[in-house]
Amino acid sequence: MNLTAQDEIAEYVEGVRAALGGVPAATRDELLEDLPEHLAEVLAEGGGSLRARLGTPDVYAAELLASAGVSGAVPRQPAGWKEFAELRGRSAAAARRADVRVGPLLGYAKATDFLTLLRPAWWVLRGYLAAMLFAYVFDSGGGPLGLLPRLGGDGIVALLLLGVMVVGSVWLGRRGRPEGLWSRRLMTGGTAFLVLFGLVGFTEVDGDRQDGPAYYETGYSGGGQYADVQDVFVYDRFDRLVEGAQLFDQNGQPIRMGEPFCWNETTGTSPSRNMGYPHCPERAPFRAGDPSASESAVPDPSGDPSPSGAAPSPSESVAASVAPPVPSVAPSGR
Amino acid sequence: MDPTQLLKGVLDLAVLAVLRDEDGYGYDILRRLRAAGLEDVGDASVYGTLRRLFNGGLLNSYVVPSDEGPHRKYYALNAAGRAELERYGKVWRGFATIMDDLLDGEKA
Repeated sequence: MNLTAQDEIAEYVEGVRAALGGVPAATRDELLEDLPEHLAEVLAEGGGSLRARLGTPDVYAAELLASAGVSGAVPRQPAGWKEFAELRGRSAAAARRADVRVGPLLGYAKATDFLTLLRPAWWVLRGYLAAMLFAYVFDSGGGPLGLLPRLGGDGIVALLLLGVMVVGSVWLGRRGRPEGLWSRRLMTGGTAFLVLFGLVGFTEVDGDRQDGPAYYETGYSGGGQYADVQDVFVYDRFDRLVEGAQLFDQNGQPIRMGEPFCWNETTGTSPSRNMGYPHCPERAPFRAGDPSASESAVPDPSGDPSPSGAAPSPSESVAASVAPPVPSVAPSGR
Repeated sequence: MDPTQLLKGVLDLAVLAVLRDEDGYGYDILRRLRAAGLEDVGDASVYGTLRRLFNGGLLNSYVVPSDEGPHRKYYALNAAGRAELERYGKVWRGFATIMDDLLDGEKA
């Protein structure tokens, strides 16, 4: 055995010893006990370096640990770590398989190839989300979340903020992955928070858009007997058409029926010039002095003087806010 | 299928078996296993297995000074080791028979 072989053995043993760093010293010495002797045999046999024959010291140490059944081999890792690492490994493998399988559907070898191309798009979206978050946090106006990052309701400022954030995000993206461990963690945490904020924000804004008009539509004109209502004509107890009438429900919410547009033979459809109902007084179904009106529009001329008694459907609490004596409501069909 | 997985399961038994008739030191045992046909067996696996069987009380060990090289640590089956070899050997034979039947049935 020459000096080079001794050096090689010593180096290899040290490598294995270092790889067993997490093992208690007594167990480690036990495991390493036979190693120099064994390595000498391997070298004496010829056929290449120790690394070529046995693999790297790390690999050797891992195999040694596994076959020796040393438990608690790496005490630096907390309990449950192994399960977690296994789970992570399985998830990563599943993700890689999905990556390769989905790729061809998109026209790429791997799905990640395609997603990599989308990275700048994410940078822009990230800038938008950051601007929205900024506006959400610092806008003292307290207005509801819209689609632009408004500060004090100012559209110009919103666009400026949006531009700055998008450019900043793209700049950050082009710099690549941050160097330090903490910068990377900050980046990951920030990204997760932004995505969460974006999801919640989108859901909220979308919900507001959906709920807003839907309240009136489902409640009064979206379905049922009021689906076809385009205009509402209010008559007082003397059969006079009430103009500029406002309708509210029991919660004080305005009841909106029809659209404030009038159709005219000569001008076509034009916006209504009237506040409140009816939108188009000239299309009133009954005229004052019309004999048919007195019978159909006022079902009970001698009736109850209280306004609520005159509402056509008390269960819906429709009540005209302008109340020259007792209004009655006559929805006009299409 | 990975044959090394199969090997891991029977390495204990294989090591006990090659020590049945003659004591041996680590590298010697490795050589016997390879000579018997287990060519893929890893050096570290054999050493780790020896260490585990020794700690499990199935092997005794003694050091033999050597003239031409380092001292050698010999391993020998003790009574517990022989009992284990017999017990585990039976398990293996039963298992192997079942596998043979399964594989033969597959062919037929």
